[in-house]
Formats: sequence, structure tokens, C-alpha cells
Amino acid sequence: MRITEAIIVFLYLLFMIGIGLYFYKRARSSSSDYYTAGSNINTFVGAFAIAAAVASSSSLMGAVGSGVTLGLPYFFAYAFGAIGILPFAMFLISGQVRRAGVKTMPDFFDQRFGRSVQILAAIIVVLAMTFYMVPQLTASGLIGSYVLGIDYIWAVIILGLGFTIYAALGGMWAITYTDLFQGAIMLLGVMVLAAFILFDHSGIGTLLSDALSTDPNFGDVTQPWMAYFGLFIAFLWFGIISPSVVMRNFASRDAKTARRSSMWGTLIYLLLFLSGMVVAMAGASLGIAGQLDNADMIFVSVIEHYLPPIIGGIMLAGLLASIMSSADAMLLAVSAGVAYDIYKKNINKNASEQLITLLSLIVMMVASVIGILIAINPPQLIAIMVGWVGGFLLSSFGIPFVLGIWWKRANRQGAFAGMLGGAVVFLVLVSLQILPTNAEPIIAAPISLILTVGVSLMTPAPSREVQAQVDRYHTHIEAEGKAAARSEEV
Amino acid sequence: MTKRSKFKDPGFILAIVVLVYSAFVWIWWPHEMYVAGVALTAWLMLAGIILWFGLAIVYVLWIERVEKSVKKQTERRDAHEDY
Repeated sequence: MRITEAIIVFLYLLFMIGIGLYFYKRARSSSSDYYTAGSNINTFVGAFAIAAAVASSSSLMGAVGSGVTLGLPYFFAYAFGAIGILPFAMFLISGQVRRAGVKTMPDFFDQRFGRSVQILAAIIVVLAMTFYMVPQLTASGLIGSYVLGIDYIWAVIILGLGFTIYAALGGMWAITYTDLFQGAIMLLGVMVLAAFILFDHSGIGTLLSDALSTDPNFGDVTQPWMAYFGLFIAFLWFGIISPSVVMRNFASRDAKTARRSSMWGTLIYLLLFLSGMVVAMAGASLGIAGQLDNADMIFVSVIEHYLPPIIGGIMLAGLLASIMSSADAMLLAVSAGVAYDIYKKNINKNASEQLITLLSLIVMMVASVIGILIAINPPQLIAIMVGWVGGFLLSSFGIPFVLGIWWKRANRQGAFAGMLGGAVVFLVLVSLQILPTNAEPIIAAPISLILTVGVSLMTPAPSREVQAQVDRYHTHIEAEGKAAARSEEV
Repeated sequence: MTKRSKFKDPGFILAIVVLVYSAFVWIWWPHEMYVAGVALTAWLMLAGIILWFGLAIVYVLWIERVEKSVKKQTERRDAHEDY
């Protein structure tokens, strides 16, 4: 057991649970507070929160681990898509979804396409976000077993249940405010680590030369083109199709705050990845990739090699922070999917706020236990598992979502066919393993597009009201929206 | 309500910029040309991530300008109608 690191990590988790408990009462007051923090989060908090939600354990450990194993171009393919997450979502959907005035992503599908599409979307969200827990739990298990010196399986169980309890108690209030600390620690930690590495190697040029002399293939494209491109599109679309990221957008005070939060969040994410690039180069220069049981442990090995124990402990706390914030946002998306989108909207419309919140707690625990059971024997590298989640969400509702906002003619039948068809094709391709890793959405997303457009055109157009609603998504300011509403009343 | 083409929306235009740069990188894919020992394709992607942040700044400033001008137009129109 590494005493110094363990004490720092323990104190850190205790502090975060304290914040969860502090916000417990506030979160229980209404489901709006629970899921979107009462839509009252400012730019500074929002920027760190949205960056921390996007920057999962995969961003740090997964990108570095896969970058060292598969080469620097793979790391950059990951970053090329991942840094685009927030800007791309902001360009295409954020403002429009805010103006739709919905609370969760399936809510949007209900408003735009109707109940059947909403239920299908909620089921897909629950499946994808539950599986998304697996890479987070894998990473927390690796760090936990390293710091505490316990078996990986026990580390997964203890840490997984620990941060589930905390997320379940506080809802979005607790998650957003702890994300401020988590985002700050994560950013500071990786930048400090990068500074130590650069100082040790006397600059980036020497570091790259050291990495290339240890591993001459480090700068090469080692995989088929499709593997890089599939990873890129899955990540580029992640902000559009990830319910956990979209829900963060609803938590901001107003549209301007949401945009500025996304812009600064992009800068935070950019700095994280540039520091991650330095860590990947350091990992390659150590030449230890072949000696580790799990390539995702390279990040931890770099910390151990370059940082003194106290700073290393803070850095590991930062890594756990990134896992915790992402996992918490996912758990919240799963619980919203079941308790709100399926139960409240379709089974028991008169359910009280307390009952919904209680159901959310139960769903979170169940999702977490399922995630833990799969993570005990993880099926792939962290980066690849995250790529699967992104690819599945893109293939299923990426196209119906974007067309629902931008194309009036898209209708319920088209959206349902595109969503179901894309999801099924993706799952079939993953299970057959006939394509390079993460290349599945290259086939499945165009099929979803063809189905959405084709079936929409073959069936009746949406009603005038729905088409007018699509126009309202694209009004630019509140005043304009109010003017439109006034003219309709008249 | 001021009617504005969706295709003139700053978000739509900047999304096209993202797609054009991405297409340039993925179609060219210079993986056998090396700069400082690393495939050129990797450096193009590094340039891309910096471009993404630049586009995010452009979007925020642009849309705030659009909102300001729409707000002014709406206020002017309301004042005229009241009169």
C-alpha cells in the first residue's frame, strides 16, 4: 500500500462525499434541481463542470495508454475528435435544444417526434450509459489497486459503490459543484506532471527524440485508416449524442452562459490533451508498455516515475476525480432515462417528486452494480470501450437528433427507423468483429441517415405545429421567441 | 419574428468549416510523410484541435453579435408598433 497517495486519495473522496451530503437537501426539493441543478450554474463553474464531464478517465488514462501502445497518431485521432466535442455540439444543437425547453434528451425526442421515439431513445440511453460505466470502473479499479495495494476486483467494487452513493445523494447540484474541484485538480495535476516531464527531459524536442529512440514506431500510423476515422467520428459527435453532456448544457443559467461555459471548457480540454501528449511521449520513452498487464496503467507508471509521492497522490486523486465526475453524470443520465423518461412520462404520470427521486437512487445503484460486474473482467482497452459507446450513440440517435433540429420534414416514422436500424447494425457489427476496432459507425451511421431520410420522405410530413416548433428552435434570442409567441397568441 | 435562413446561422457555417478541415485531413491522410519522426497526419490533427478552439471563440463572439442586432431590431419594431 502506498501510504501517502492513499491518504490523499481518501481525504479527497471524503471531501467530495461531504459536498454530496451538503447538497442532498437541495437536490431533493425538485426533479429540476436534481437533474439540471435548477438551471442556475454560472460560466466559471459551468466551464469546469462541462470539461470534467467530457474528460472521462478515458481522456486521460485511455488516450495515453492507447497512444503509447498504438502510436502518437492514434492519440491525436482521439484528441482530434474529442476536442471538437464541445464546439461541434455548440454549433449544431446546444442553442436549439435549450430553446426547445426540455429537461432530458429523450424529452426532446418526445417533443419533436412523439412518444414511441422517446421510449426507444430512453432505452438506448440506459443501455449505453450503463455500459459507459465499465471503462470508468476499470480505470478506478486500476488506480485503486495500485494505491491501496488490494486486488483489482475489490478496488472496482469499493470505489464503484463509493462514488455511486455520493452521486445518488446529491444529483446535479452535487455533481456540478464537485466538478469545479475535480476539473481544477485534474487540469492542475496533468499540467504539473507535464511540467515535471519536460523539465526532466530538457524540453519537448528531446522528449520526442527519447520516445522515438526507445520505440521507433511511436510516430507511425500502425492501424488501418478506418480504425482512426471511426474513433474520430465517434468522439466528434459525442457532445451531440451523449445525454450526460447535453444535460450539463441545461444546467447553465442562460444560453450565453452555456455557450461561454462550452468555450472555456474547450480550452480546459485542449490544455488537458496537450499535457496528455507530453505524458504519452514520456510513457513511450520509459519503454514499459510491454511489461504491464494492462496498457492503461502506463499513465499511473508515468506518475510514479516522474512525481514525488505527495504530488503523485494529488494527481491520482485528479484521475479518480475525472472518473467520478464522468461516472456520476452517466449515472444521472441512466436514472433520468428510467425514472423520468420511462416511468414518470409513460407509466405513472402522477408520481410525486419524492417517488421519482427515490426511483432514481435505486436505478443508479442497479446500473452501478451491472457496471461493476462487467468491469471485473473488462472486455477491451478503456479507449476502445469508450469508442464503442460513442459509436453506438452516434449510430442510433445522432442522425435523428440533428435532423430533428435542422430538417422540418423529418418525421416520427423516419426517426424511429433510423434510430432502431442504426443501433441494430452497430450491435451486429460489434458482435461479428469483421471491421477494424471502432470502425462500426462508419457503416452504421450512414445506414441510420438513409433510413431516417428515406422513411421520412415515404411517409406523411409532420404537422404544421411541429414544423413551426422547428422554426422556433432557430430563433436567436429570447425577445424574438417572445415576440413569436405573442403573435401566435393573437 | 425576423425570418432568417437556417443556413446563414453561425453554427451551421462553422460546422461546415469543421467538416471541410476534417475532410482535408481524412482524404489526404499523409501517413507515410514524416516530420520530426512523426507521421504528418498526426501533426495535421494537432493543428485541427487548435483550430477547433479557435472556432469556438469565433462562434461565441459571432452569435453574441447576431443576438445584439436581432434584439435591437425587435426593440425598434416594438417601439414602432406601440407608437
